Order: sequence, then C-alpha cells, then structure tokens
Amino acid sequence: MKKVLITLAVAFIIITSAILFKNVYSCEMPIKNRGIRDAINTGDLDVLFIGSSTFRANVDMPMMDEAYDGRVYDISYGGNQLVATVIQYDEIRRRSPHDYGLIVFELGPMMLAQDVALSDSRVIWDLSLEGKQDLWISMYTAGNTDFPMLYEFFVTSGMDDLITFPVTEPFYSTRYYKGAKTDETVSPGKEWLENEEFDLSDKYLVEEQADAVANIINECKKDGQDFIFVESPCYYRLQDDPVFREYHEEFVRILDENGADYILASDVSFDTHDAALFEDMNHMSAEGRRVYTAELIKALKNR
Amino acid sequence: MSLISLPFLFFMICLLFAYYVAGEDQQWKVLLAASGFFYLWSNPVCIIFIIISIVSTFYLMRNPVKSHFIWTIVINLGLLILFKYSINFGIDNLIVPLGISFYTFMTIGYAHDCYDKRIRPSDNIWHYALFISYFPQLTQGPIGNYEEMHDQLIKYHPFDFQRIKTGGYRIIIGVFKKLVIAGRVGFYIDTVYSHPTGYSGLTLIVATLFYLIEMYADFSGYMDIVCGVSEMLGISLKENFKRPYFSKSIPEYWRRWHISLNEWFNKHLFMPSVTTKWNKKTANILSKVFPKAKKGTLRLIVPTLMVWIVTGIWHGARFSYLGWGIYFAIVMLISFCTQGYVKKFNAKIHWNPDNTFIKAFQIVRTLTLLSFGEIIYRSESFSDTVYIFKSIFTSTRINGASIAAAMTPFGNGNQAAASVIIIVILAIAQFVVELAKEKDEKAFTGHRYIYALLMIIVIALFGVAGKSNFMYQAF
Repeated sequence: MKKVLITLAVAFIIITSAILFKNVYSCEMPIKNRGIRDAINTGDLDVLFIGSSTFRANVDMPMMDEAYDGRVYDISYGGNQLVATVIQYDEIRRRSPHDYGLIVFELGPMMLAQDVALSDSRVIWDLSLEGKQDLWISMYTAGNTDFPMLYEFFVTSGMDDLITFPVTEPFYSTRYYKGAKTDETVSPGKEWLENEEFDLSDKYLVEEQADAVANIINECKKDGQDFIFVESPCYYRLQDDPVFREYHEEFVRILDENGADYILASDVSFDTHDAALFEDMNHMSAEGRRVYTAELIKALKNR
Repeated sequence: MSLISLPFLFFMICLLFAYYVAGEDQQWKVLLAASGFFYLWSNPVCIIFIIISIVSTFYLMRNPVKSHFIWTIVINLGLLILFKYSINFGIDNLIVPLGISFYTFMTIGYAHDCYDKRIRPSDNIWHYALFISYFPQLTQGPIGNYEEMHDQLIKYHPFDFQRIKTGGYRIIIGVFKKLVIAGRVGFYIDTVYSHPTGYSGLTLIVATLFYLIEMYADFSGYMDIVCGVSEMLGISLKENFKRPYFSKSIPEYWRRWHISLNEWFNKHLFMPSVTTKWNKKTANILSKVFPKAKKGTLRLIVPTLMVWIVTGIWHGARFSYLGWGIYFAIVMLISFCTQGYVKKFNAKIHWNPDNTFIKAFQIVRTLTLLSFGEIIYRSESFSDTVYIFKSIFTSTRINGASIAAAMTPFGNGNQAAASVIIIVILAIAQFVVELAKEKDEKAFTGHRYIYALLMIIVIALFGVAGKSNFMYQAF
C-alpha cells in the first residue's frame, strides 16, 4: 500500500510540475524565427502582422525586411481566429515594451464563420498563462468546450514540442523567417486548383468572431495604435464564391461601421486566375508570395 | 460508459466497495446489479434484447434437444442479423445493442456446449444472466465459456490487495496502449485512409504499418483494461492476445490474435463442419480434381472458407470485410496445402527454423501478408484498395521528398517532427518489451512501480484526450 501511494504521489508531483511548467513558462522558451517572444525580442517594429496561415504563407519577409529596414514581424498561426487575434494583440501590448508603427490584422472573410476553437497548438505555446486563460474563457463562453478539450488545452497540447524541443527546434526554426514561411512552395497546377472541392454552403456567421473584429478595432483605438485590416487574394474560384462574397461584405460592413482602415484583395494588382501563384485556394506559392508582397508593400506605403 | 472515463472510474470505486463489503452469498448479486447498471447506462432501451437472449436461451437449453438448440440459434442470430445488418436492408435508424456480437457468440457457444453435452445446463437464470452480461467482457470480449466462467463468477472472493494492485497495473498498461500509442497513430491512419488517392506509396505503407500498431494497441489495450478490472474483482478472464506480431506464419498469428474469437470459431463452426457428411462428400469431389492431395487437407477447404467468410461478414456487411475474410481463407488454405512441401524443402536445404535470421524473415513475411489483409479491411471502397496496392507497388520511392510527404498527415510541419520522434520512441519501447516477453514471459515483471510511474506520467502528459472509443466497440 505504501509503495502504491508513493508511486501515485511522485506521479502527481511530476505531472503537476510539467503542466505548470508548460502553462507558465512555455511562452519564455527560446523559440527562434517565430512566435510572440521572438517578435518582442526583435524590438520596435514598423509593421507587425497578426493573422492566420494565409499571412504566414503570403507575406515574403525578406522583401518586407528590405522595405522596412528589418523592422517587421509576422506572428500568424494556423487557422488563427479573430477571437484569438484579440488575445494575441493584448498579449503583445501586455508583454512588449516596444512600439509598433502599424499592426496589420487579417481580413479573412471565412474567419467570421469559424467556431471558436484552438486552431494551432503554437497559440498555447506563445501565450502567457493569462492569455491562455482568456482564450479558454472565450472558447467556454462560445459553448465549444468539454472536459477532453480542457485537458488537451492545458495539459497535452504542445507537450510533444516541449519534450522534443532540443531536437525539433533547430529543424523548425529553419522553416520560418520572422514568423513567415520560407519554403519555396510551388503551385500544384491549374488542373488541381480547378478541381479542388470546397463547400461553404454549411457555413454560418459566428457572432463571437464578428464581435472580435469590433473588439480589435476598439482596443487599437483605445491604445492609439495604428492598424489596418488586409485581405489576401485567393484563387478566383474561392474569391468569387457567393458565400465567400457574402462573408467578405459582412466583414467590410463591420470595418466600415467601426471606422477601420482596410486594404481589400481587389485593391492590389494580382491575377487571381493565375494558378502558378497559388499553392491552394487561399495560400500562395513562393512565386505568388513575392508578387503579392511587392504589391502589398506599395499599398501599405501609399495609405 | 467508456472504460476510459471519469464515470467509469467512479463506477469502479463504488463497485469495488460494494463488492468487497457484500457477504458471501451477495457478492455475485452485486456483480449482476453492476452489470445491469453498466448496460443501462450505456444503452437503456436495448437491455430488452439482451434479456430476450438470456431468458430464451436459458429456458430452451434447460432441455437441450435439437429443436431447442436450433431455436436458440434462430433467436440469437436473428437479433444479431436484425441489428447488425439492418442498415444493409435500408433500415438505418436502429441502435445496435451494446456488445450484441459478443454476447450472441457466448450464448450460442453455451447452447452448443449444452447440446453436445460438454456442460450441464445452468439451473439458475441469474447465474446464467451474470455469465452473459458480466460487464468487463460484454462489449468486446474476451468471449468466455460457461465452464470456465461460472464458478469464478459465483464464488466468493475475499478482498485481496495484491489482486487490486495487479489489476491496476494491467489497467495502466491498457490505458497507455490505447491513449498514448493507438491514439497517436490513429489520426494519421484516418487522414490517409479517408483519402488514399491523395497520397503516394511510402505514405500508404507508413499508414498501413501504423494501422497494425493501432489495431494491436487498441484491441490489446482494451483487453488489458478489462482483464485488469476483472482481476480487481478476483475473476480471471481468458487472455486474448499472445504477442501476435511475433508469429512466424499466418495460422500461428490467428492462434495468437483475438484468441477467444478464433477458439470459438474453431470449436463451434470449424470443427463441427469438418466432420459433417456434406464436407466429406465435398472432399471426395475435390479429390477427383486434385488426386494427389491428402484427403485430410481437402476436408479443411470448405470449413476454412466458411469460417473466414463468416468472420469477415461478422465484422459488417461491407465489401472490405468480406474481401478480408476471403483473403485470409486463401492464405490459410495455401498454408495448409503447402505445409508438407515446405517441410520437405526446408529439410533439403538444411533450413534451421531456430536460426534468428530465419525467424526474423518468417515474422516479416507474416507481417507483410497480414498488412495486405489489413489494407483490404481498412479501405473504404474497392477502388481505394486497388489504388493503395497499386501505389505501394508502383509509386514507392524513398527520398527526401517522399519522406517529407509521409510526414504531412501528422498535421502541420511543426507537429510532424515531434509526433514522429514520440511515435518512434514508443514503438521501439513497446517492441523491446514485447520481444523480451517473447523470449521470457517473466521479463519486465520486476520494478513494476517504476514502470507504472513512467506510464502514468506519459499517459497524463501525452495521452490523446477524447480518444476513449475502442475499435471493436462497434462490433
């Protein structure tokens, strides 16, 4: 009996310590080339991108570096959500002593139709305990939580990365530069893009995501932070989809209603019919990334 | 009620308390009540069907004459077919009663044993009800037989902390296999097999190998949990797995995988059909076609085909299951028919079966044949099966690009490397344990507290939460 109790007690102590370590200190791990900590360590920035994998794939950081003397960074996450974007913005403001000339948020129409959820375990890594709690409360308020999710959120998510950190970090860090992808991705070809199936018919507006857009705007205004929403061009089949257009209009309506500045996909010169520029429906190939970034730099500088 | 859930943990704590507090005559009643509660919690409406099965079989087999035996089979198989295959007849809203496949096998096995006078029919319907509904073995087996289970279930088991410890350790092993190993590879397999045409040879091979790992970790993990639970109650269940992936042939594999099901088929379907007149007649006809073949071998052909087709259909009325059954029937028949020639050939080339390399070759060969069968089983359509085989044999390349492509189903690139490292470490650890146990059954039996500690930590920190449904639960 004594040995059983000791085993359970030791297990409890180790597990609790690991959970605490992950939740409290993961945001302090020396992660290179991506994430909030690395962005903060870069110092004052002229442009900070906060968005989803679309920004990560579509913005060419070496070109941005050149245009802004290296004072740029991108802290985008896979499938990032508008609800999480607010929390990431708060986190930056709370932890960073630096100035950010312009914060570029993503105008992703379909982000309005995403259930509030954890879309990328990197989010958990990068947020402080306070940020994690805020994100969990947002998910809970939206009614999208249960016990297994709580467990995944605070215990298992990101543990793989933590335990393998010394081995995997050198590999991961080569895949990014200032938070954006460095892969020389190529287009899968016109035939693939023309036949790729997608169905937006069952999408619905998620109120929490729509409210988050207004929250981002209000918080930036309150902080006196210059900001802009940017919509990346998608392959024409997606961009011209009636449901996509509907959400696009709704997003623009919210921005107009709250007096926010924005650059639409149609405001930049980019051929959405050119398959060579896309990796999939909404992520660009390396070629597309460079074409788009040149246009985006012009648009940002001309505003 | 999932076996890996907080309600089940609470259920077990209450049960253990009530079970060991109960008096000598009351203990089995506590177990019966708990089994009823377990069933009601999981599937309240369908309890009526297990009651029909229990009552009809019990009363019919009190007088085990041929007509009663046939009626027992008709009633039980009828219910099984109604629920399991109703969807194939256009009825898609029936809830399948929990464990119907497994309790139907137990019921028919009991009836057959009574009819053949291998056992005396039960004289107490509550005892019989407990045998059929005993909750640890109800959902996925092992398929117990009445002779082995009855006395254990009814007799008094005084509290024994050693058994609680042994059972607890076994449960930890099971949860580890399920949540840490099966849960991790499961996501990869689902991703690849749901759209196999999006992947090339190497990825499909990895997914298939992972499927072998998932099947074993899931199913044997479940068995570890139920055997552990039962051990805590003082009742030993039949072992269902004996390190099957170290088998040196497919027939040996099926003697070491899902042992209770295969023994059931052997006892209640294969052996009886081998000795039937119609099988002898068929063997005579076949002997005219294959005059050199031994009659004993020819008598195995039809029963083998029958058993494997039934096993396939038992998994469900789908092409892939039927194809899987036929595939293994053919492999088993080839194995039976060539056994003599292989022995002669081996003797001629002085093949030493105890040589480590030869053993390793035989194990790899068995796993390869097994993988082919599992591709058929896991594919969602015939065209997927054809595509997977074609891709494996024509488009498998081992280079940087194909290795990178094989990592994509792990999720985004950031998670892939970490997942691969952890899966490789776990797979090697599991392999080392199994290999050591294959050589010496007592290996890894010392230092249990340290192993338990390590497993608890890994389960808690790396287990895949929300993956508590077991593969065979659906059957």
